Amino acid sequence: MSKIIASCKDIIKTFNSGEAEVKALQGITLDVYENELLMLVGPSGCGKTTFVSVLSGLLSFNSGVCKLMGENISAMNDDELTTFRGKNIGFVFQAFNLLPSLSAIENVALPLTVASRKRAEILTLASEMLEAVGLSGKEDVKPSGLSGGEQQKVAIARALVHNPKFIICDEPTSSLDHKSGEIVMELLQKIIKEKGASMIVVTHDNRIYKYADRIVHMEDGKIIKVAS
Amino acid sequence: MFKIAVEMLMHDKTKFLGLLIGVAFTAFLVTFAMGYFAGFMTRGFALVSENSSAKVWVMDPAVSSAEATINMSDSSLDSVRGVAGVEYATPLYLGDVTARYANGHFQSFQTIGVDDATLSGSPQPANLLHIPNSVIIDSGGTEGKLQTPLSKKDVWSYDGSHLQAPTRELRYGDVMLINSKRVVVAGVSHTIPRFPPRPLLYTTTSNFKRLIAGEKRYITFIMVRPVKNITPKELAKRISQKTHLKAITSDDFKKETVMWFMINSEDVGDMVNMVVLAMLVGFGVTGVMLYMFTYENLKQYAVLKAMGASAKQLGDMIFTQVFISAVVGSGIGIGIASLLAQIISSPTFPFRMMWFAPLIGFFGVIIVSMTAAFISLRPIKNMEPAIVFKL
Ligand SMILES: Nc1ncnc2c1ncn2[C@@H]1O[C@H](COP(=O)(O)OP(=O)(O)OP(=O)(O)O)[C@@H](O)[C@H]1O
Ligand SMILES: [Mg+2]
Repeated sequence: MSKIIASCKDIIKTFNSGEAEVKALQGITLDVYENELLMLVGPSGCGKTTFVSVLSGLLSFNSGVCKLMGENISAMNDDELTTFRGKNIGFVFQAFNLLPSLSAIENVALPLTVASRKRAEILTLASEMLEAVGLSGKEDVKPSGLSGGEQQKVAIARALVHNPKFIICDEPTSSLDHKSGEIVMELLQKIIKEKGASMIVVTHDNRIYKYADRIVHMEDGKIIKVAS
Repeated sequence: MFKIAVEMLMHDKTKFLGLLIGVAFTAFLVTFAMGYFAGFMTRGFALVSENSSAKVWVMDPAVSSAEATINMSDSSLDSVRGVAGVEYATPLYLGDVTARYANGHFQSFQTIGVDDATLSGSPQPANLLHIPNSVIIDSGGTEGKLQTPLSKKDVWSYDGSHLQAPTRELRYGDVMLINSKRVVVAGVSHTIPRFPPRPLLYTTTSNFKRLIAGEKRYITFIMVRPVKNITPKELAKRISQKTHLKAITSDDFKKETVMWFMINSEDVGDMVNMVVLAMLVGFGVTGVMLYMFTYENLKQYAVLKAMGASAKQLGDMIFTQVFISAVVGSGIGIGIASLLAQIISSPTFPFRMMWFAPLIGFFGVIIVSMTAAFISLRPIKNMEPAIVFKL
């Protein structure tokens, strides 16, 4: 049995939008293990994004316990949580979310810059990472000059450059064509296996299910099935 | 992080330019309005500035401005001269006259009568006033008011006024009538324009009394220079005590005059209101623009926060961006204001760039910008970092 990297118990999250109350998560319990690639699937609006937001400490929740690397995130204040997240979690988004004003390498370097690492170190790590995703030569190109697939590769490099233990990807392939999606998934799989990190991939795309170690099915804010 | 902040700021060139223009506009407005205001005010005490060697001014105790005056008795001059510490004291006579021009037109002048012996208070060359019945005239900030007929046939014509006759500027040798008495223009001076603008007419005391006859009291001001070892302040105090007249230093007199304008002049009140309104609008626009800029980049800040950027780091970024916009923008604005000031400053357009005008423009913008930055911190602090997952 491998080590648990993230563990959630009875997570409940409701949104109050206007007069209506949306029960986005209705008691989610899930462990994520070291070194696994876990996929989170389910119909639109079932609470997948809400769940990974909670799991990464980006969203507060009503009740339940969420532990990351053994630490209870509800016990941390905003600054502690931010630092913790900066150190231990990497993100890949459907919309890439690269900073449009920064070059590819500057975008990749962001988690290191934010952590005030040394300049030389930042440069080496960022260019190594950019090379690892197959984008050497594009260091100084701004996101607007890159294709969608290339932008997502930059985002992946950014998610991994600081060696996080836990990587969260929300629909990483939805904005990409099939071929780019495959390339991105292969890249993600390869790199996390190399680095020994864990990863949650939220997806609609059943063509990439084959990369999963486990698939968690959600519906209406609940986990209805976990398949290996 | 500094570099990221700067690149974020400059990324969208149009937006950045818009921001700079907004800030520059405010700085320009504030600096320019202040310069304009200062210009008016310095003209308000032109008479005092013109007689810079008079360090102490003596007047009726009720007078509190170089503009609104009442006269003192002729004996007051001797009283002042009798006070120890007075090196010299010369009278200044102010009055209003209406002059008839050679074509039949008339024009009112402020008449300034200066001491016959010393001619102090007259524009140079003052000794022109020794010519009998002579005056030195001055536009005093007006335009086109000192005109006389171009051709001989329209001058004092036997068949009455030639009001439509073509004219030229008055000059040496031209003749006018004041209270049916003949005066000769001995010179045209260009002293400090007045506020409100009005043509001026300098002459000797004796000529002044000839033109404005029958008054009991003539002396409006007594200009005093202290001897070496007494300060103007001390002497002013001493004169007040000894003579029961009001004596103040020229600096205080300028300040009092400005105050008097602020309180008593409707024009100035309107101007101040306009300046304040312009500042408020400018400040409001700048603040809102800076706030909008941060607000539009909220998602980028959320991404940074997701990657571990602390509240302090994000705050520093915002302050960096706002500070750069404020400094560059106000630099441009103040630059344009000074440049424009050089170009348009003229007798009819008072403009005076006092040392504090650009400073107030600059610090005004900085304060507003910093306030905007502080307000911009709120949405950043309150943002739900989970918006990073939203498309
Ligand atoms: N900030 C919010 N305020 C109010 N309601 C929200 C908010 N975010 C999500 N919801 C609601 O919570 C529910 C779950 O949303 P969530 O985004 O987690 O779904 P999802 O499974 O990620 O869907 P999709 O596959 O479309 O991305 C939805 O009903 C959604 O409308
Ligand atoms: Mg979603």
